[in-house]
Amino acid sequence: MSSLLPWKGWVVFAALAALPLTPWMTKYHMLLAFDALLFGAVAMSLDLLMGYAGLVSFGHAAFFGLGAYSTAVLLERGILSLWLCLGLAVVIVGAYAFVVGYFATARRGIYFALLTLIFAEVVYTVFRYTQAFGGSDGIQGLPSPVILPGVALDTPIRIYYAVVLYLLLAYLACRVLVRSHFGQVLVAIRENEDRARFLGYDVQRYKMGVCLISAVLTGLAGALYAGRAAYATPDLMHWSISGEFIIMVMIGGLGTLVGPIIGGAFFILLQEKVSSYVQWYSIVIGVVLVLIVLFAPHGLLGFRRGLRARPRREAAG
Amino acid sequence: MAAVLLPQLLHGVVFGAGLGLLALGLTVIFGLLGVMNFAHGELFMFGAYAGIAVISVTHSFWVALIAAPLIVAAIGAVTEMATLRPLYRREPLYGLIMTFGLALAFREGARQLFGGDMRRILPPIEGSIPLLGMTYPKYRLFLLAISSLLLLAIWLFFTRTRAGIVVRAAVQDAEMLDGLGVNVPRVFTLTFAGSAALAAVAGLLLAPVFTVYPTMGVEVILLAFIVVILGGMGSLGGSVVAAFVIGITQSLLTLWMNPQRVAIAIFGIMIVVLIVRPRGFFGREGVLE
Repeated sequence: MSSLLPWKGWVVFAALAALPLTPWMTKYHMLLAFDALLFGAVAMSLDLLMGYAGLVSFGHAAFFGLGAYSTAVLLERGILSLWLCLGLAVVIVGAYAFVVGYFATARRGIYFALLTLIFAEVVYTVFRYTQAFGGSDGIQGLPSPVILPGVALDTPIRIYYAVVLYLLLAYLACRVLVRSHFGQVLVAIRENEDRARFLGYDVQRYKMGVCLISAVLTGLAGALYAGRAAYATPDLMHWSISGEFIIMVMIGGLGTLVGPIIGGAFFILLQEKVSSYVQWYSIVIGVVLVLIVLFAPHGLLGFRRGLRARPRREAAG
Repeated sequence: MAAVLLPQLLHGVVFGAGLGLLALGLTVIFGLLGVMNFAHGELFMFGAYAGIAVISVTHSFWVALIAAPLIVAAIGAVTEMATLRPLYRREPLYGLIMTFGLALAFREGARQLFGGDMRRILPPIEGSIPLLGMTYPKYRLFLLAISSLLLLAIWLFFTRTRAGIVVRAAVQDAEMLDGLGVNVPRVFTLTFAGSAALAAVAGLLLAPVFTVYPTMGVEVILLAFIVVILGGMGSLGGSVVAAFVIGITQSLLTLWMNPQRVAIAIFGIMIVVLIVRPRGFFGREGVLE
């Protein structure tokens, strides 16, 4: 285990686990920390796709939203087991991601981005207008999910520990993945897809695989989110949310896993703090993004490298 | 049947013409910079709000129709110089992410300046005239006429003027053009300003038909993307044809389906096109594939 997570990582997780013991963690701060870590995990899942396979998905909000709705539909019907909620999210998001991945991975670059975007818009539109899912209001006022018989995920502390555990497991899974042969092939595809193909790798299968894993991890996060927020709305699936996920990855730095976690947490905290002072926080977020692209394209933390730099004309054919 | 079909068909043509103006700017910028401009919908929205501002001062739609595009063109030029120019030699995806940030800031800026509620611009030409056995609003016919004229003017600009040919040359091979002594960054900035002006014209012209609100650009930008892809990225004629196809298809489908089914049907068409023929109707093979 120590090779997967160096001692610094264990220290960080130990600190996160000890955080609720500190006196200044109120209920509000606990839930804010939940959101920060959860969206950090989502950004990390997206980084698997963007940073390692070089595929920019503009449709990750659909995976997140479908996960959230999986939980919401079960909780609404009185099926309270968190494990069933997570299981359903894996099945639903996995099935949807399989279809999207099958078609989208046949294309590269901007076409991949647009295909994921349009598929996600279809999902958004369906949920926005289907009365069985509550239409534009979504499904609200959900009961808390149950981990074990009699133990509900109903206090901020339990909810917080659930996300810390999820983040740890998801991080280890991603780390194993990028260290594996599979992860190395993904990087090879990112660097030169044709060469990877000539070497005999079934490029599309690798791309579909990473799409599926990234989507399912995002969907699980969505399922947890609905358990904490007690609602699932179509707004969670809007393409501007997908854009925010990309922003989180960019803030943290592509292809680093750790960077996007920090990027996601930073984004949530920035949004929360700025929006409590001014109403026009979107301007601040937008300007921060512009400044990052201009002056820190490798992420705020200056991790390694960004997207492959290549001459513009070559890209435009 | 014809009594229902004909006005709906004409609605589609009118909407298609407006959409064409919007998509044309998008496709030129895509051809030049390799960037799908996410902020294009916000420039469209700025056009409508700039129109409202000018009308409130001058009480004239016609003055606004000249002034609003100029204002938005200036905003576009400044934006291009400040944010996109440093990205010329970088991966196009950075441009995508950059314009997403710009769109976010622009949208919120408009909400702060003009408020979040829906506004209306009254049509400058009122009343209807009998046409082909039905009565049709005069303003929509005017909208169709002026959009067609503008599209024709743009076509003449690109085929008959030196400036237009320089822009097309920049789309083809900016480096070569640079080698021939043309100030390419200036061409990019002016083209971006022009594309912003076109978006603004579309926004202002369509405003009396629809309503004006800060997120109106978000609603229309996906449709404009679809038009650009369908026509073939970077293909000017393709975008115009695709705009009419989408406008008419959407308009006719509403006869049989509710709006959300229409939206899904349009997305469905788009997905099929991207899978089967990603270069669209008239795109060059292999562009960014």
